[in-house]
Amino acid sequence: MLGGAATEHERTRVRSRAGNRVRRGVLNTAVALCLTTALTHIGLVFLHVAPSNAVSQRFNSQVDAWIYPLFEQNWRLFAPDPDSVNRQISARTAHTAPDGSVQVSRWTDLTAVDSSAIEHNAFPSHTSQNMLRRSWTSYVELHGGDDVPRSDRAVMMQRYLRNIAADRMAERDGKPFENIQLRVVTLPVAAPGSTDRDRRAAAAKNAETRLLPWWKVTSDA
Amino acid sequence: MPEPTTGPTRPPESAITPTRPLVRVTGAARHAWALLTDRPLSLYAVSVLRIGYGLLYLVFLLREFPHRDAIWGPGSPWTPDLARQLFDQTGWVSVLTLSDSRLYFELCYGAALVVSVLFLLGWRTRAVSVLFAVVVASFHARSIFMTDGGDNLVLLMALYLVLTASGRRWSLDARRARRTPAGRRRLPALPPQLGEARATLVTTVHNCGLLLIGVQVCFLYGAAGLYKVQGGTWGAGTALHYVLNLDLFQPWPALSHWADEQVLAIAVVGYLTVLLQVAFPFVLFGRLKYPVLTMLLGMHIGIAVLMGLPLFSGAMIIADAVFLPDRFWVAAGRLARRALGRTEEAQPEPAGAPEVSGALDDAGTPRGAVPQQGSPVSPVRDRP
Repeated sequence: MLGGAATEHERTRVRSRAGNRVRRGVLNTAVALCLTTALTHIGLVFLHVAPSNAVSQRFNSQVDAWIYPLFEQNWRLFAPDPDSVNRQISARTAHTAPDGSVQVSRWTDLTAVDSSAIEHNAFPSHTSQNMLRRSWTSYVELHGGDDVPRSDRAVMMQRYLRNIAADRMAERDGKPFENIQLRVVTLPVAAPGSTDRDRRAAAAKNAETRLLPWWKVTSDA
Repeated sequence: MPEPTTGPTRPPESAITPTRPLVRVTGAARHAWALLTDRPLSLYAVSVLRIGYGLLYLVFLLREFPHRDAIWGPGSPWTPDLARQLFDQTGWVSVLTLSDSRLYFELCYGAALVVSVLFLLGWRTRAVSVLFAVVVASFHARSIFMTDGGDNLVLLMALYLVLTASGRRWSLDARRARRTPAGRRRLPALPPQLGEARATLVTTVHNCGLLLIGVQVCFLYGAAGLYKVQGGTWGAGTALHYVLNLDLFQPWPALSHWADEQVLAIAVVGYLTVLLQVAFPFVLFGRLKYPVLTMLLGMHIGIAVLMGLPLFSGAMIIADAVFLPDRFWVAAGRLARRALGRTEEAQPEPAGAPEVSGALDDAGTPRGAVPQQGSPVSPVRDRP
């Protein structure tokens, strides 16, 4: 009787030890998997953040598949050089009257509206600091020097820019219009050391003006 | 961990006394393994990140209340159609583009406010942290062309925080765990071995998440610094002059002009900025990190005020906080309590206060593997 109980006890112990070993194995595998995933993530983020190099080119598709869209990032903050220009974006609208005559509005400086919303504001809104500014830089990235969209993304960006301008012009005086045109003046920031008056003169002299084509404002604006 | 191969007569414990030449390597590996699995590290710091980002996002949502429709709503110039078209190309998803109705948007906005509050309070933290990440990702994706580096960092941190046990300190969950006797937990207890295994896994995932957060911040500063090194204006010490003359980053023009006139200071601060950013990943393991973090704090406050970027700076400051050790936060908490004149809850929290957040419940097994963080906190009952 006693011996039987002992073997029973022994068997349970052996079984529980085997169970323990399996459990330990599974757990250790899971821990190793966590660590491997974390280290892989770190490696891929590094390749995404670093300048394009032999390694990141080789594993380009893996890096992109892992990073986009959630982990996309760009830390070139004011780098390699901060912007050395201010861009002044203006808009004007055209309205065709019932008698067929076309009335073109005067230019409205949309950037000045943003600037005045930011002035003396400790916590400026993204709508004044980022919306128009970033839509223009994205537009330029996708279009380059001319205004012919060569990709879906470029068309989308053009529509976004037009919608921003149209919304602001409509909010402004509420007058109806069917077409809108943008003008972007790029004013370089003068080199340090010049006086205030020099600066303004230099900026005005070196200003570049880009006139965009008239765009039709559709109902989805 | 390698299972020691033991003969049937030898008890497993004796196999641990190692005499082989690889002992150093295995010793180090074992130490690293223990660091990863034994206890969740920096529980206070991740709680600070949870509170910080929850609060920051709440403030952001409230600040943009008048513009919410233009940024995330159906009335945005980046129309729902454009957003959906972009999502098809990039693979993003956002709860905000599921419907074009204004009412649906207002409900989402309200829900985002509620989730941010619950997250910062640490209520059912693990489940709410998933919701918070969904909210931040959805709102970020919807307004992707209006975001800046600050928004980007908040998104990444919201994602990483899901992995961490950010509700174990300074949270409603921690308070509830303190007040609930161990025997009266809401969920039925798991069998002890399973409970232990789960605790180990939760700890591992937490520590991996913490590692990701730390490395992410290092990548941020390292990249920001090293890319600046390539710029001529940073080398010439004039970069900040150009930064200070950007019209859209001049909330206080008089202040910006005054700062712009300090030519030498601008060069020094510019060099210091690059140096701090490049050095950042390398100073984290020594005492030098304290002056560096302090200077970075000053730099971020400067950016917040001078350039009108409080959200961006706030996101950076909160991220830096992850590098402060728990003994710092314990001391800070004690000081704050003293300043507020509160004496209750001054005892150290029970080691490994379990996270009772819905999906994750403690099995009732004491988590003895979680030692006290830093020095023990002495009660301050002698103070009023």
